[in-house]
Amino acid sequence: MSKKQLGGRLLQIVIVLVGISFLTFALTYLAPGDPVRSMYAVNGTIPSEAVLEATREEMGLNDPLLVQYWNWLTGCLHGDFGTSYSLKTPVLTLLSSRLLPTLKLALLSLLMMLVIAVPLGMISAVYRGSVADYIIRGYTFLGVSMPNFWVGLLLAYYIGMKLGWLPVISIGTGIKPMILPALTLAFPMSAKYARQVRTAVLEELNQDYVSGARARGIKESRILWRHVFPNSLLPLITMLGLSLGSLLGGTAVVEVIFSYPGLGSLAVSAISSMDYPLIQGYVLWIALIYMVVNLVVDLSYNLVDPRMKKNTPSLNRGSKRNAPSGAVGAGQS
Amino acid sequence: MKKLKKALAAVLAAAMVMSVSPVTSMAAFDDTLNFGCYVYSTSFDPAAYQNAAWQGVRWGITECLFKFNDDMSVEPLLCDTYEVSDDKMTWTFHIREGVQFSNGDACDAQAVADSLNRLFYVCANSDDYSSTPAGYIDMASIEADTDANTVTIVTNTAVADLTATLCFPFYSIIDVYGDTTDAEHEGGYATSVIATGPYALSSFDATTKSGTMVANEYYWKEEVPYGTVNVTFIEDDSTKAMSLMSGLIDLTENVTTSSDLATLEASDAYYVSQSSSLRSGFAYINMDGILGNDTLRQAIRMAIDSTTMCEITVGGMYTAGVGILPSSLIYEDEDLDNPYAYDLEAAVALLDEAGIVDTDGDGVRELDGENINLNYITYNNRCLSDFAAAIQSTLSQYLGIGVSVNSTDSDTEWMLMQSGEYDLCDSNWTTVGTGDPTAFLLNWYGGTDGSNFYSTENPDGTNYCNYDSDEFDALYEQFIASTDTDERNALVVEMEQVLVNDCAVLLHGYYNSTMISNASKVTGAEIATFDYYWLSTDIKPAE
Amino acid sequence: MRKNLEFLKKHKAFTVFALLAIALALVAIFAPYIAPYDPYEAILTDALQAPSSTHWFGTDKLGRDLFSRVIYGSRISLSSALILVACIFVVGSVLGILAGYFGGWVDAVIMRIADMMISFPGMVLAIAIAGILGASITNAVIAITAVSWTKYARLARSLVLKIKNCDYIAAARVTGSTTPHILYTYLFPNVMPTLMVTAFTDIGSMMLELAGLSFLGFGAQAPQAEWGLMLSEGRSYMQAAPWMMLYPGLAILVTVVIFNLLGDSLRDVLDPRDE
Repeated sequence: MSKKQLGGRLLQIVIVLVGISFLTFALTYLAPGDPVRSMYAVNGTIPSEAVLEATREEMGLNDPLLVQYWNWLTGCLHGDFGTSYSLKTPVLTLLSSRLLPTLKLALLSLLMMLVIAVPLGMISAVYRGSVADYIIRGYTFLGVSMPNFWVGLLLAYYIGMKLGWLPVISIGTGIKPMILPALTLAFPMSAKYARQVRTAVLEELNQDYVSGARARGIKESRILWRHVFPNSLLPLITMLGLSLGSLLGGTAVVEVIFSYPGLGSLAVSAISSMDYPLIQGYVLWIALIYMVVNLVVDLSYNLVDPRMKKNTPSLNRGSKRNAPSGAVGAGQS
Repeated sequence: MKKLKKALAAVLAAAMVMSVSPVTSMAAFDDTLNFGCYVYSTSFDPAAYQNAAWQGVRWGITECLFKFNDDMSVEPLLCDTYEVSDDKMTWTFHIREGVQFSNGDACDAQAVADSLNRLFYVCANSDDYSSTPAGYIDMASIEADTDANTVTIVTNTAVADLTATLCFPFYSIIDVYGDTTDAEHEGGYATSVIATGPYALSSFDATTKSGTMVANEYYWKEEVPYGTVNVTFIEDDSTKAMSLMSGLIDLTENVTTSSDLATLEASDAYYVSQSSSLRSGFAYINMDGILGNDTLRQAIRMAIDSTTMCEITVGGMYTAGVGILPSSLIYEDEDLDNPYAYDLEAAVALLDEAGIVDTDGDGVRELDGENINLNYITYNNRCLSDFAAAIQSTLSQYLGIGVSVNSTDSDTEWMLMQSGEYDLCDSNWTTVGTGDPTAFLLNWYGGTDGSNFYSTENPDGTNYCNYDSDEFDALYEQFIASTDTDERNALVVEMEQVLVNDCAVLLHGYYNSTMISNASKVTGAEIATFDYYWLSTDIKPAE
Repeated sequence: MRKNLEFLKKHKAFTVFALLAIALALVAIFAPYIAPYDPYEAILTDALQAPSSTHWFGTDKLGRDLFSRVIYGSRISLSSALILVACIFVVGSVLGILAGYFGGWVDAVIMRIADMMISFPGMVLAIAIAGILGASITNAVIAITAVSWTKYARLARSLVLKIKNCDYIAAARVTGSTTPHILYTYLFPNVMPTLMVTAFTDIGSMMLELAGLSFLGFGAQAPQAEWGLMLSEGRSYMQAAPWMMLYPGLAILVTVVIFNLLGDSLRDVLDPRDE
């Protein structure tokens, strides 16, 4: 990626951030309900209309949309994302305290996903058409068709309660409370990735050099481990980055089920209590993280790319928006 | 400034003692209690708002001058003796000697007076503080006599019993360093509250609403049973039960899913303490809306099978009744007569006779040409939303009355209630918070010239439902003026009867509160009738 | 007719899954005849009964028959998912075709918005939009449409770009056909098949997203019989009445599996290269 391209990408990030935050801002502006009243309601009382009006004036809520947006945006640039109505705490403090837990959860689920998906994908490709292949394909099918909140409930019920192996809610420190939520997230993702791995390995196996190597009498295991797997798995690394980005935004349902103190559950409660500054801050943050991760992924892809050009024509190099986006979406929904 | 330095020195000293003491003498404090509960507030400052005041007391952080026993009698706490003038307007409280705050500062008469003065001052003068201490005490002055170690409270009107009022969590005492106005204290005392209870807050995370407390080593009464208490916010009742059963927590309060409660009760491993409480669950009725129609209200009352709902839908978490005040209280409610007892057929007949029928055949009855569709607001706490769902089904199924249930959170519900955007509003309120229902019954009192009707122009009004009954108002005024206990109690029953006759409120039942502990780890975990009290020193590690 | 039969014979998988999907639709349409009880009829005294011969899937907290509710749930879940896919399809393809055909600033504006939406985790925005608009199944459909149309817009645009400069379109232009006429006669028929297939394969995942929003409380509202909402209600009774969370989940799974398989087999039919 040239400097010019990089500059273009950075500019694009800025434009998207402005666009997405304006959209959220406009939505909250148009939404029914009075934020000032909700703000006072947290204290259990609503003052007179005069006080409400004064507060609105003071908070700049009577200004035109664009003025309000501009004030908010300049505040954000100075690190001031406003103060949460419902929790009476700066949005920045709230978001940063929840970022790390969500990040940990996302990383753990990515790890689990890899541990499940890569072997399954490889087995199913190498032993194509075997019983194992069919079972694994059944698994991947189940994975993409099962609602992840239901998976979460089933895990909580059977592993958490019936067997009592793992905590059903994410209280406390250490890795134990994170296992069930991470597994819930990993399950559908692993199905998508196993499919991806299978396709990639199959395509690699169809390459000319493989039949050439076979013809030369090179051992099958050597072909697989030295050439096929590395070549077909490398592109996955960059897809992981993309999945991480969407995981950060897509953990809401799972965090709610397991009472996990992350960004997603914070966002859901912010939305339920019409906590506009928190919603706006959250959306902006997620957009920023998602795009920065995307950029880093693309940069790293550039590093790997030259070596891969020869061997992996099939993996949609450079056009991350098309084929791998199926896997990108793995963390969502 | 000098005072500030002194305070700082004290804090430093306390911090040093605290940091050293675990090594030296805290053997008894080794135990840790993991308490999972609903957290209603992110502040512990009694002046901030009602839930904040309650939370300080519930967690065992703050204490009041007096404390309610389960039988509504009053027990001295920070005050050991008191005197009252004949006109019942000058009350002199002697502060127990040797009481210290958790930072080691003395909790003497001056500290108590400062704390109370600051409470009244900030609540009256700042929009940031919404507790209403003046609502229960018509205070003229609060002064400390440092030599006698007494605090004298002078009121503008005669008070039957100020000690009971002072049990209310608003009046819990915190260390304000003589800072009565809060002007110097940036950020207030939200989570930095220092008080006299057995536990002191050491950390609190507003985003997870969870925190950690440590034993108050200066606790005046006895040795504190736990060195550390981890309090975890658990929103969902079923999750509370699961967390207890999986050993994540040792103690929890108010598991209201009946099935979970039954499981816990059946097991020897858990101890379930259940008690009738001072709470009534009911739907507040907006008289300004469609439910201003008497026949409609009567029919609805008769169509709802509260007994089944209490016993089955919410599995005994509530006890059905007639009057708005819990029957476990001292008021003789067996005298109450219910002209609108459950009778589905009669309810249908009543509507048919009154011409409130379904003329357009869409299954919903009309009133004044429009389909009846009630706006029912509720929130997910203490089974209220279960009642809402059951009532919604009953009314639409058997009575042909549409109900839209809007399930929200408590803050939003309160806001909708204040702005009158409801027909039915689920509530679970403490009825005799200060020892009698003076404040609670204000919810139906109109006042002279409608002075108690809430509106944004009259934010001090506490009647949010526009129920307007001269009979009720007259009885209430008589009740307020009386100092004779028997007469007061009789008046309360009369007022209850008026509300029943007018179908002014849709009672669900009287709430039974619970506290559940892991029997192998915790002993003495009893739920108090007054649910201001959760963590007490009676809750100890099991042997 | 014979041709159709041969087609069906040749594509057995497609036929089977299409029949299953039709069966699901029939269940939804004839729910009143299949369900043994009124799904909204609460018999409070019958609450939380375990599955039995009278209540196949047990009853819920208000004593409503769960089997009937699951059957009726197919109405809301199926119809809302289909409407949702239709909305995304229409909005996305129209915008994409316009962008591709007209190019210039129309293209720039539409595609920049699409870029913006795609560089952002969709579910986050969908939750935010649904929450702000207020919880209802309609708003959930609107919210997911708002974040999902971009895929179709991109696809439609690229398809249009491919054929836009073909001779026959140029010829139509020269002979004086009006723009709407060209769009209608030449572009739509060419673009539709690919988009339709995509839409078909998306039904399953859209259903999951809708159920997810309902589960979080931003979709269907009580007492509606909707699977996501029923799961959310069942969650509190996991301990005592696990059937409340089991059967609605199974219903979602079965439905999504059928639609996903149907989508896959449809793709196989139209594009035999892909295995």
